[in-house]
Amino acid sequence: MLKPTGAALPPRRDPPPVPVPGMDVTLDRRGVIWGLIVAALVTLSIYLGSQRFHGFDGALAGYAFATVFAIFGIVYRYVVWLQRPPTRTYWRRGWELFWQPGQRIRNTGLFFKMGWEKLIEQRFIRKRSRGRWLAHQLIFWGCLIAIAITFPLTFGWLRFESDFTNPSDYLIVLFGQRLEFFTFPARSLLGWLIMHGLNVAAVLCLAGIALILGRRIKDQAEIATQRFDNDIMPLILLFAVSVTGMFLTVSNMFIEGKFYYFLTTIHAVTVYLWLLYLPFGKFFHIFQRIANLGVWFYKAAGANGPQAACARCGTEYTSELQRGDLKAMLPELGFDYRHSQVDNWQNLCPGCRRKLMTLNQFAVTGKEFM
Amino acid sequence: MAKPPLSREDYLDLYGPTLHYSPPGGFRTVDDYDDLVDTHCCFCGQQCGIKLKVKDNEVVGFEPRYDFPFNRGKLCPKGIKRYLQGSHPDRLLHPMRRTPTGYQRITWDEALSETVSKIQEIQAKYGRDSFAMLSGVSLTNEKSYLVGKFARLALQTANLDYNGRLCMVSAGAGNKKAYGIDRSSNHWEDITQAKVIFIIGTNIAECFPITTDYIWRARDNGAKIIYADPRMVPMARTADLFLPLRVGSDSALLMAMLHVLIRDRLIDEEFIRNHTVGFEDTADAVSNATPEWAAEITGVPADKIELAARWYGEAETGMILHARGLEHQTKGVDNVVSCANLALATGKIGKPGCGHSTITGQGNGQGGREHGHKCDQLPGNRDITNPEHREYIARVWGCPEEEIPGKGLTAQEILNEIHAGNIKGLLSLCFNPLVSLPDANFNREALDKLEHYTVIDFFLSETAQHADIVLPGSLHEEDEGTSTSGEGRVIKINAPVTPPGEARRDWEILLDIANRLGRGKYFGYTSTREIFEELRLASRGGTADYSGITWEKVVDTQGVFWPAPQVTERGKTTMSVAELDSEHPGTPRLYEGGRFYHADGKARFNAVKWRESGEVVDDEYPIWFTTGRVVSQYLSGTQTRRIGPLVDQFPHPKLEMHPRMAKQLGIRTDDWVTIQTRRGEVIIQANVVNTIRPDTVFMAYHWGGKESANLLTQRALDPVSKIPEYKVSACRVRLATPEEQAEGERVKAASARTEKNLPAGYGLQERRQELRR
Amino acid sequence: MSDLRFFVDPIRCIGCKACMQACSECATHKGKSMIHLEHIERGSSTQTAPMVCMHCDLPTCAAVCPADAIKRTEDGIVQSSQAPRCIGCSNCVNACPFGVPRYYPEIDQMLKCDMCYDRTSIGQKPMCASVCPSEALFYGTLEEFQARRKGTPTNTFQFGAQTITTKVFIVLPEGEIGLDMDVISHMDARFEPDAFDHLDPFAHLEPLPQAQPGLTGGRL
Repeated sequence: MLKPTGAALPPRRDPPPVPVPGMDVTLDRRGVIWGLIVAALVTLSIYLGSQRFHGFDGALAGYAFATVFAIFGIVYRYVVWLQRPPTRTYWRRGWELFWQPGQRIRNTGLFFKMGWEKLIEQRFIRKRSRGRWLAHQLIFWGCLIAIAITFPLTFGWLRFESDFTNPSDYLIVLFGQRLEFFTFPARSLLGWLIMHGLNVAAVLCLAGIALILGRRIKDQAEIATQRFDNDIMPLILLFAVSVTGMFLTVSNMFIEGKFYYFLTTIHAVTVYLWLLYLPFGKFFHIFQRIANLGVWFYKAAGANGPQAACARCGTEYTSELQRGDLKAMLPELGFDYRHSQVDNWQNLCPGCRRKLMTLNQFAVTGKEFM
Repeated sequence: MAKPPLSREDYLDLYGPTLHYSPPGGFRTVDDYDDLVDTHCCFCGQQCGIKLKVKDNEVVGFEPRYDFPFNRGKLCPKGIKRYLQGSHPDRLLHPMRRTPTGYQRITWDEALSETVSKIQEIQAKYGRDSFAMLSGVSLTNEKSYLVGKFARLALQTANLDYNGRLCMVSAGAGNKKAYGIDRSSNHWEDITQAKVIFIIGTNIAECFPITTDYIWRARDNGAKIIYADPRMVPMARTADLFLPLRVGSDSALLMAMLHVLIRDRLIDEEFIRNHTVGFEDTADAVSNATPEWAAEITGVPADKIELAARWYGEAETGMILHARGLEHQTKGVDNVVSCANLALATGKIGKPGCGHSTITGQGNGQGGREHGHKCDQLPGNRDITNPEHREYIARVWGCPEEEIPGKGLTAQEILNEIHAGNIKGLLSLCFNPLVSLPDANFNREALDKLEHYTVIDFFLSETAQHADIVLPGSLHEEDEGTSTSGEGRVIKINAPVTPPGEARRDWEILLDIANRLGRGKYFGYTSTREIFEELRLASRGGTADYSGITWEKVVDTQGVFWPAPQVTERGKTTMSVAELDSEHPGTPRLYEGGRFYHADGKARFNAVKWRESGEVVDDEYPIWFTTGRVVSQYLSGTQTRRIGPLVDQFPHPKLEMHPRMAKQLGIRTDDWVTIQTRRGEVIIQANVVNTIRPDTVFMAYHWGGKESANLLTQRALDPVSKIPEYKVSACRVRLATPEEQAEGERVKAASARTEKNLPAGYGLQERRQELRR
Repeated sequence: MSDLRFFVDPIRCIGCKACMQACSECATHKGKSMIHLEHIERGSSTQTAPMVCMHCDLPTCAAVCPADAIKRTEDGIVQSSQAPRCIGCSNCVNACPFGVPRYYPEIDQMLKCDMCYDRTSIGQKPMCASVCPSEALFYGTLEEFQARRKGTPTNTFQFGAQTITTKVFIVLPEGEIGLDMDVISHMDARFEPDAFDHLDPFAHLEPLPQAQPGLTGGRL
């Protein structure tokens, strides 16, 4: 198991420059290309979906543009992210495992099951804290509803028209098709919900923000580690979008459209900011979360495969798959854990690594103890 | 008569032990609390400073108390989790009467009048001394003093004793014989200045963890550590010299060391001449005690004994530290005075870095043994048989001298007399004799013979299950007062919360009983502070003189070291508390300038003859059996066995044995083994470790029922101190039969319940595994 | 907090687990202990090994994290995983050269020592170093450390070819400049049954004493 060696350890050397993980300042070519491709596709879909801009609402053009830009940003960041060695490894392995012949149907089923548990139900957050889970769910659904309504609206894919036959009823126009079978009276609960969908979303978001803010003000862990740009900024943006959006309704319904123009401008600005922040700030974790599913497949495959035993104590502590991937990935990240006695320091289990620090400290004292 | 009425399962459901994990209100990341109260840890004689977080009259957490000079924020696991004993599901909240089917809730009035009428009935029928009282030294000084006075003047019985009898009495008796006073010679800061530290019979790392830092600092200053113990305990592992002593052979080792010191002229003849009496007899007694002779008895190689003696003798400064390891023996006092002989012969006492200290085990083991808590003692460490002392205390108490009863029986003797049918009634407080006294089967039989038994306790301990009346008393954090740490430092205990439910402060309960017994005139206190003021007066002029100490001074100076006698003439003679002065600064280091507390100011050598322990190994019982503590539990475990994270650290007792013995017996780690002595048997799992002598097995004593180490220990007592011989028994060990193993597993499973409603994501099993690694 | 440092001195550790219990009481840890303390091998020694996060200058855990969930703050503290980001892959658990991060399956997240950031970021001592009875864990200024005790604090570790420097110091004897992590001389008694024979203080003692020397020959 161990290679006995009389040779001294390699001489100590200065730590090599290790690229600090995080954002690169220079633009990544692959990211730009993919971003442009997806942005172009979205633009094309706007063009087609709105029947060559026939259904496109010029007043919402700014929103549409900002959204396309945000999508470019998200794709760019996602591509950059996927190029990081650990992420790339998981991405590749995840798909490899998913597409294993004979497992695909089962995997698809599992994909939806795990997708539900991890992405929709967010069970892991509930286990961490119920309060946090509730806040997260409120914001999650608030944003989801808002996106589901606003994106198609601004892209010109969707609009509401009054029914010719019954002017008090409305119907939905999707991709230029009047959905005649689905008309609804404006003054009904359903109508109210549809017309005020964005307000509902805003209320959900505001409730979630209130809960989260409450914790961020009182919770010591949050206070100690939170940073304005990462943790407070998104809440402010979300709050601004929700409140200005609701002001529009207030202006429209209760004060006869006073300040309406001013409010639309303000609202537009907040939404632009939010969209621009989306790829680069905290909200990006929404897209990173999807990797959770890949990890799940990776772990399951690792558990079914051969296990890696510790070179010192022989305990099996992880999968051969993961240890091999780590050993391959670390040099790319600038780490060289080759060790003359155990081939690689990564061949030791975490417990032995901890113990070896104590044992080596004892050894240099020059005394021997039981 | 007093048999517990419920099944084991019912006890578990109703009274625990329930493993309590989460603070009141759950784990909060939000740090909101109403108050942060300075107080001390209740677990062990080091009395570390701690701050308790309080919210809505509940203790919800702790914060290190960096400003307290002894521990500077340091704590052991017991201190950290001690707050979980409050707001505990098992807490007794109302008085109860035992019935044939269980425990019935009654009012305080019913409970107290039944207790009082039983006391009167039994005393009328069998005489006053037939009603005994047992108490404990986890109580504050005030309560200890009150219990002493209560037993003598309210119960009017001679038979009062305390659980310090199982803890500090050998050291106390030895210290008094040698030095005329009963206290550690130095404050702990002196340890750091010692050049050699001789540690014998104490597992410092597990029993007194905070002391380890003092020892390490001494080592950083160049000190050598000599460690004598049958086990290679954590601090012994890195010691400069380890003496693998056989249990019960301490005095032989100490005699041989003195022999070497005298032989090699490493003694301080001038000190001996000027400050001691009796050296010649002692020197004679060790004239034949050669290292070779001691090597045969102790199992420590002779050259190591020589080396230890020489290191100790040659060093400029040196300290001797010991604890129950050599005190829990029928030779407890012999062992202590043998240590004193070493210190006196080399003059290593009464100077910075020089001293001889016993490390106090119980919370208030020091203060609680000074103020009339013991069967032979009156406040100020006065002697109950000394007419002058009796006269003075009678004056303080305002009673005729003849009202104070004479010397009574010691703790185990009281149980013996109960068993013999001579003592019929018992009132106990802060004592769990069924777990803590040796030969538990015998003591259980004894308790079953009582005509009446009232217990004051906060949890229904193993002993309290036998009581006729259970009165819910107070926890450490529910009452204020002072206690005295092992250093001799008097400190202030504060009360962040009040007792829950109908539970009451212990001293208020005792006052009520005294009133109902018609003796209220002696107990007119309205606060514990008034009790302390009376204690000051009562201790004045005694060896344990607290008269110069006030609560304010204790708080302002982070503790005052007694003795703090009166300085002014007025203070020395007055009988009014108000006129006592508080000018004396206290005495961190005793015996400075070679002044001792015997009347002539000189210390005494005490010649010791080697003798064997009360029980030795033979063909039938060939293995030495010894007991001790683990770091996560305290005494009989009434409190600590109910605190989940502490239990998880060491959930059940295990039998430590050496691999060579294990091989011979065919035992591996975690195998179930049966240990038998002449008193009883215990079935537990083995832990095969090469850190123990191959002829000795070890078991921690904190558990009750069938996991109790004291089912195996013997009732042999030291002839002077009457401490039981916990540390030396003869036993035999074998692999358990399948039936025995099943029984052992059943007992293990029924040892505790886990608290319900733990927060999601707490991961109990994982936490448990981490704590056991 | 710039001049306050964390010193680890495992040789002093007495295995009492006060650090673990206190760690779980840190307001941000909610009953979970982030510090490790374990017996090296209880069968052959009472020796224990404490392990806090060493807070590497270039943290391997953060480098191998696929989700950017581990951040090092400006003051040199490598934070625990960010809840929204951690995807529970255990890369960090397996890659950390010191074996520090721990994966908690019940919450599908890695948590590790953050040097009680809620405390240290406002100048308080971390829980474990506050309570450690033997000062195996010590938190204070270098001057305080030197005034109290001896030894050279170092923060350079050599794992084979890899040098790691850390914010946390380990205490070595005077004159040592770093710690070479050696494996081969630390195979314990499980692998070499006679590993401790030359140290065994009980080697001369028989397991089951039948004849008692103290009873017969030793009487004075």
